Amino acid sequence: MIRIQTNDVDIGALIAAAKEPGTGAVVVFDGVVRDDGITEMELEAYADVAVAEMEKIAQEAASQFRLQHVDIVHRIGRLRVGENILIIVVSAGHRPEAYAGSRYIIEEIKKSVPIWKKELTKDGGRWVVGEHGHGTGTLTGRAGSRTSPEK
Amino acid sequence: MTVKVRFFARFRELLGTDIPAEPEEGATLLSLVRDLARKRKEGYDAIFDEHGNFHEFVIVMRNGKRVEHGDAAAVRITDGDEIAVFPPVAGG
Repeated sequence: MIRIQTNDVDIGALIAAAKEPGTGAVVVFDGVVRDDGITEMELEAYADVAVAEMEKIAQEAASQFRLQHVDIVHRIGRLRVGENILIIVVSAGHRPEAYAGSRYIIEEIKKSVPIWKKELTKDGGRWVVGEHGHGTGTLTGRAGSRTSPEK
Repeated sequence: MTVKVRFFARFRELLGTDIPAEPEEGATLLSLVRDLARKRKEGYDAIFDEHGNFHEFVIVMRNGKRVEHGDAAAVRITDGDEIAVFPPVAGG
């Protein structure tokens, strides 16, 4: 399941669904709203492109790390401190692949998936600066992701 | 010809989003975005430098595919296009 949604997700159900014959490890990444002196966090996405990018990342991770199952759920809208932002659930035959695959997915999401976060404070708000500056990830790098000028 | 321009994050706050536009035949991606951004100086300055080029960090897409800045003046807009302009991503 690769989704962008406002609602929270039942992580326990995702873990149960990730267990398949041959599964030896399930790794869950749960990114939450940190209390950095903020009141809430507001997230927005270019949803169609974001889901397509996350699907590509999931496919690449599954192939590269022999994952059996991948779920990525990224929430948007207003979230309070402590709420889930991003849940990644992966399963694999062994823990090295599961850990590595999970880490790969979160790092690629941060590079390339068009989602933005605004930290809301008592004094207003501030946009979170992306860690990767000028779109260094798959927005530029994946095959077929560019367009050329018409001749 | 009718197209849609979508700004995101800070650019959306400054310029709005899902903006319908009717560019003239021959309009390019660069000219279209410049014309829309000119409605508010703060928005224009957030996206373009003093020479009218996209700031280095700005990401531009046409129909969900990345367009390099160097190509934006040559990419001709066609009917039904969806153009997206946004700052560096910060999800996760």
